[in-house]
Amino acid sequence: MIAKTCIKELKELMRDGRIRTAFLIVIVLLGVAIWISARQYQSINEQYQSAKTTERSVWDDQGEKNPHSAAHYGTYAFKPKYPLSLLDQGVDKYAGSSIFLEAHKRNEAQFSVAADQTGLARFGDLTPDFILLFIIPLFIILLGYNSFTKEREMGTLTLLKSLGAPSWKWALGKWLALFFPILAITVLLFFLAGILLSNLQDFGVFNWTSLLMMFVVYIGYYVAFINIVLFISLKVKKSGIALVLSLSIWILACLVAPKAASNIAEAKHPYPTRQEFAANVLKDKQEGLDGHDPWSKESKLLEQKVLAEYGVDSIHKLPFNFDGYRMQKGEEHEAEVYLKHYKYLKEQFSEQSKVYKGLAMISPYLPTRFMSMAIAQTDYNTHWDFADAAETYRIATQKFLNDNFAQNSTYGEWSYRADADFWKQLPVFEYDPPELKTILAQNSSNLWILTIWLAVSFSLLLLTTKNI
Amino acid sequence: MLRYNFIYELRLLLRSRWIQLLSLLLLLLFGFSVFNGMGKVEKRRDDIAAARKEVSASDQAMLKLLDSVERGLDVSVSPWTIPSSPMAVANYYPRVAAMDPQPMAFASTGQADLFTHYVKPTASGDDFSLNFTEMTSPVQLLFGSFDLAFVIVYLLPLLIIAFTYNILSSEKESGSLRLLASQPISIQKWVFHKLILRFFWLSLLVTVSLLLVFFIMGIDPLHWNAVFSLLGLTLCYMLFWFALAFLVNLLSNSSAKNAVSLLGLWVVFVLLVPSVLNQLGNTLYPMPPRTLMINEMRLQKAEATKQQDKILDNYLRDHPEYAINDSTQSRSFWHGYMASQKLVKEALAPIVGSYEEQLSKQQDWTRKMQWISPAIIAQESLNSLAGTSTQDYEAYRKQVVQFAELWRAHFMPFLFNNTLFTTNDHDALPQFQYQPLQQNGGIQAMSILLLMALVLLGLGFAMQSAPRQKGILSDQ
Repeated sequence: MIAKTCIKELKELMRDGRIRTAFLIVIVLLGVAIWISARQYQSINEQYQSAKTTERSVWDDQGEKNPHSAAHYGTYAFKPKYPLSLLDQGVDKYAGSSIFLEAHKRNEAQFSVAADQTGLARFGDLTPDFILLFIIPLFIILLGYNSFTKEREMGTLTLLKSLGAPSWKWALGKWLALFFPILAITVLLFFLAGILLSNLQDFGVFNWTSLLMMFVVYIGYYVAFINIVLFISLKVKKSGIALVLSLSIWILACLVAPKAASNIAEAKHPYPTRQEFAANVLKDKQEGLDGHDPWSKESKLLEQKVLAEYGVDSIHKLPFNFDGYRMQKGEEHEAEVYLKHYKYLKEQFSEQSKVYKGLAMISPYLPTRFMSMAIAQTDYNTHWDFADAAETYRIATQKFLNDNFAQNSTYGEWSYRADADFWKQLPVFEYDPPELKTILAQNSSNLWILTIWLAVSFSLLLLTTKNI
Repeated sequence: MLRYNFIYELRLLLRSRWIQLLSLLLLLLFGFSVFNGMGKVEKRRDDIAAARKEVSASDQAMLKLLDSVERGLDVSVSPWTIPSSPMAVANYYPRVAAMDPQPMAFASTGQADLFTHYVKPTASGDDFSLNFTEMTSPVQLLFGSFDLAFVIVYLLPLLIIAFTYNILSSEKESGSLRLLASQPISIQKWVFHKLILRFFWLSLLVTVSLLLVFFIMGIDPLHWNAVFSLLGLTLCYMLFWFALAFLVNLLSNSSAKNAVSLLGLWVVFVLLVPSVLNQLGNTLYPMPPRTLMINEMRLQKAEATKQQDKILDNYLRDHPEYAINDSTQSRSFWHGYMASQKLVKEALAPIVGSYEEQLSKQQDWTRKMQWISPAIIAQESLNSLAGTSTQDYEAYRKQVVQFAELWRAHFMPFLFNNTLFTTNDHDALPQFQYQPLQQNGGIQAMSILLLMALVLLGLGFAMQSAPRQKGILSDQ
């Protein structure tokens, strides 16, 4: 009975011209989206490689220079693109991809792609995630809105009931008939992406497990949608009304909820403006040691402390250049200030995340969106992780430079120049993104929400099929 | 006939509770979105006001310090920040270059969440180090904002579709079409009457609820002009969707089919066309990678640093007035820095220009192509009405860069003549005033939308004369 219903439903769907066209459109769109993303992915990676090497050679070839001048001259950390960004671009467009690493200052990632585009960019891009998240649910609605209502409208419901088979059996058949086409599209897409990614040159950290996990998340999302659509089709008497209702759910889940969530999150837990943030940092910085200012109170205190520690009476007698030492201590103080203020930002964001999770109760879109970005390593957490890694590297670089200054020169010797090949000794900035296990652990709540969606929608459907 | 239809339609709508439902929904959507927009604008205003207050407080401190220095007293600040040095003023006492919100800014977030609304350019650093993007969570940028423009561009068409998809088909499905066909009126005309009446009612509801929301939220009454532009745009955009519904209603006569077709069109116009056009614009006029600019800038700066002395000599040769007026001829770090900064800027001008050029090409492309999707027309004109479009922020950026230039230039004579900055010089400091872009009130956008609607309606009526293979009354 299950198989027969399923086959009959599938045949009927295949006969419908609208569905054939829609199916074709979805496949073409997906193909185009993957093709565009793959091209972008490749060109961005080439840019990344060339920028990284050029920047490093600029750093290496500085020539003889005072280490602190080099620190001000600074260097750049570039954010790489990860293979699964091919499927989900996440927030990459809105987060900058290069961070300037200089003395005394933690900089934000600069040059987001969105800032370089026209207002059209805000409508969204034709990327696989757009199709996966918005278009396929719409397709589910198109396939399934009249699954049960048509039986009522054509009067075949009584016939079906008279067959004597338990209603859950043919309902399951209908469910499967809706599930198979969606599964087929998704499998096709993910398989294609997997093949494409494993054939790309330097595909970095791509692994099939992440791809599979992403696939599972999307299938979960679609199953929740299938359940909702069938539930509505069961409850409502007319196809037209079932369609309108299912669509309202889609609008609410995919369009309204994310936007409303973003507004509520911002109103409740706002970020400071860039200027406010800078002003706050400056205020805290001024309360501590400034490495450039030997006359300040903090400098004098540090001086006394160091003199006592080494048991000498003049900073000229110290075994190192006190200028370099003070510079490093100042740097450490500033790093702490930044740590504090960035921690505040992260706290604000984690409060905002709670708002998103709260609204995920009315929208399966939200947990899916967050999970998908996280697995693709294009989410905000990965961006934070990268920025933190760059900051750690910056602090280490400052120590590397200040130590050289302190150890190789005497107090007041600002004319000191480090050797031309000294710069090459600075380790290269390497960044490893979080692994799948860590990502899943971080996003366990989103996984739970999605599971709850599945459980609730399945039981609703089951309960309704019982009393058709 | 129209009068009869009018009364019948009103009764029908009231009885089916469409009017009640729509008014409630519209009030809710408009209310929430305007509330959100007002909140954002208020925050923007407060932020700018706070920044201005901070500057005037620090100016007071500066004047006090200057006064002490001029009277020969000791001051307890780091020596390089004492404002008697002109470069200290240029770097530590910057002005606020703010972009004040336009009266209709609440209507559309546009690019307002992406870009900052005030910066403080200093003499050191360069134009590229001025970061114009705002500190926002990228998740928020990704999801966008629930603003009035979203309700108008995305949701209103959906309401219209739900309101109109089964005008003709429901008559057929309930069997009253045959009765209707016996009336002395053509089907096209009858559908047109019904749609125009529904358009009239929805327009009335939209206008009343928008005005009500504006009234409750307290929009400045001086800006009613802009409010009327907004209403005009909205109504034209709505008319387009009604015209589309007219065509679809005539073409097919099953409710579900109509709904699916109209929704397909909605997806195409609102979701697909904009993203495809954006993609195409980026492919046709690609932005050179910013990483390239960084590399180039670094190389230029490294070169300039190496030749700083030579650059300074050349600069002084170009500006003999400084050599004549200055008796001390003493040269500090800043002399070399400012001279080489100018050189780096000139060397980088072509690269920086290439970004602006590509962006303006993309914008031209958008402008040329926007008639493909009324959603783009509506969104873009709402953005420019609100003063939050890409063009607005570009204008602001350009004005700030100009101001930064002015600010630097203001201190150059001080620096190269080696004169001190005094209390009297404070009032002469340059101030920034944002000049908003001229607005055309969206007349052009409205006419394009109207034209589109008329073409669609014309198509609908043209089908009347064309012989049809299958009569509307025949069973499929």
